[in-house]
Amino acid sequence: MTDSTDTTEPPESAIDRGGAARSEVRTGETVVSVSGLTKTYGSGDDRVLAVDGVGFEIDRGTVVGLLGPNGAGKTTAIKAMLGLVVPDEGSVTIEGIETTDAPRAVYRHVAAMLEGARNVYWRLTVRENLRFFARLGGHDPTETAVRERHDRLLEDLDLVAKADVPVNKLSRGMKQKTSLACTLARETSVVFLDEPTLGLDVESSLDLRAELRRLAERESITIVLSSHDMDVVEDVCDRVIIMDEGRVVADDSLEELVDVFRTQTYRVTVDGTLAPERRERLETEFGADDWTRVGDHQRFDATLRQGDDFYAMMDVVRESPCPLVTVTALEPDLEDVFLALTDRESGASGSGGSGEAAENGAAGTETETDAGSKPVGDDDPRTRTPRTEATDR
Amino acid sequence: MTTTGRGLFLLARAVLEKKVILWRRYWINTAFGFLGAYLFFAMIFFGGQAVAGAAITDTLDGIIVGFFLFSVAISAYHSTSGQVTREAQWGTLEQLYMSPSGMGTLMAVKTAVNICTSIAGGLVLLAMMLATTDQTLSIDAVTVVPLVVVTTLSVVGLGFVFAGFALLYKRIENVFQLLQFGLIALIATPVDGRAWLKALPLSQGSSLLQEAMTEGTRLWEFPAAELAVLVANGLCYLAVGYLTFHLLLRRARKLGVMGHY
Repeated sequence: MTDSTDTTEPPESAIDRGGAARSEVRTGETVVSVSGLTKTYGSGDDRVLAVDGVGFEIDRGTVVGLLGPNGAGKTTAIKAMLGLVVPDEGSVTIEGIETTDAPRAVYRHVAAMLEGARNVYWRLTVRENLRFFARLGGHDPTETAVRERHDRLLEDLDLVAKADVPVNKLSRGMKQKTSLACTLARETSVVFLDEPTLGLDVESSLDLRAELRRLAERESITIVLSSHDMDVVEDVCDRVIIMDEGRVVADDSLEELVDVFRTQTYRVTVDGTLAPERRERLETEFGADDWTRVGDHQRFDATLRQGDDFYAMMDVVRESPCPLVTVTALEPDLEDVFLALTDRESGASGSGGSGEAAENGAAGTETETDAGSKPVGDDDPRTRTPRTEATDR
Repeated sequence: MTTTGRGLFLLARAVLEKKVILWRRYWINTAFGFLGAYLFFAMIFFGGQAVAGAAITDTLDGIIVGFFLFSVAISAYHSTSGQVTREAQWGTLEQLYMSPSGMGTLMAVKTAVNICTSIAGGLVLLAMMLATTDQTLSIDAVTVVPLVVVTTLSVVGLGFVFAGFALLYKRIENVFQLLQFGLIALIATPVDGRAWLKALPLSQGSSLLQEAMTEGTRLWEFPAAELAVLVANGLCYLAVGYLTFHLLLRRARKLGVMGHY
């Protein structure tokens, strides 16, 4: 074990310290290019900087998740990219066409589901909506190929049985799927989805995620989706852009982002109660906190600064008369990353916060190890492999 | 068919098909729409006869033509202004904006379809009014249809202005209600001898239509200057209305409220 295993300071790969984030997941042809996008609402004291110099590029066939707390600027950024909101500054190019110069030309390549189920006509049936929006996109639904595509969309989204039912008689999930089907009926190469799974039940959400992955993988459709649902983003997205206060604070692949925030945080459970002086020592030397009683057991979390600390901490615990029950390595998930980056109380938002964010190391997925054993992965706790079930999602 | 021509055809078909589907699906609403307008006319006719007697029967032709024009105008106006606000309420306006044909083309197509359907509805109502009153009017399609279309353009222009304001200020339905009475006044405005009144929307068209339908004047029998005023009036209101809508739409996009309601 070497000092290089110290993970409290994340590498500089993903986290933006000055506002301009960069993508680490660039593999192919750029389809969407955003540069210096800025949008302010209001004036004087009421002035709100909704989007602040946002910039990134997206490759064809990529699914990008746009994450951020309420008011982070996600929807404004999406609408500005689509030309639905006039930006103050910046440029957006989709399929090589500048949206502000030639929005009509851009709309041949891009479709969007912006208000979920509200994007369709509720008094028309699912199929009638498909026909309407196909025509709006310049496709004739009387042509066999277009009709077949609609049939396929209905089948893929499990809407066949409801195809001739007016949308206002459908459940919210079905309405949402209809909206997605109509967005896809425009047959564009780029699709923007604002909260596509909002209000969906688990099964519908899973269906939708599978469909989005299929679209990206088989049809090379580029998808930009905003969501508050971390599971959706983790399941579907190749890359995650996290926004906070109008700025991009992180832009990287999901794995890289989680990796950056991986810390040496352990949850230790002992039988009985540790003596006050031992507890104080654990708190002082190893940052132990979150002390909890669980039946006859006492539990605490500790975020270690370097690999060797693990053994030193274990020694302190073993020296006590309380037998060690379990040691659990806490793995971060996307939610931890998101909270760390956007929670200003945690000090991770915007400039220079990533180190502190990593140190906060919010409890995530637990990976339990045998009591008293070394962390899985031996020398480098960051390379350990989960051995038991995740419990804290 | 060219790409543009095909696009226009598809748009027109989309707009018309949606309209027809909704008329048929909600046929009771459609029927009561006609019935309501007819009952309003019947109330004027029979009530007026009872109260004013000859004063009504002597001017019946004018009332029928005026009511016909009013029904077409109000339908075209509502189709333009109301449609935009409803689309914003429904959350579909932004989808329409993202049409590759462009919002301008889409609105033009919608306007054309709306005027056609409004005239068709107006003609049905006209037939019902004539049957009720046992009156006869000169309904020369070559004369009446162009006059009604061009006359209606000015109201569509007003519809665009109010649609634009509705995008910015949202709930302004009460202004719409007020404008309905304004339309009646404009239709009844006597333009003879007061040339400046011809600059008002509807007035000049109403005057020419009255003459065409009650006196049988054909389109080509009208003085060219009168027709030119009518065309200029219609096109000016339409252009100013659309330009205003376009500017207000841009303002709404700048404020980020296009899709809000």
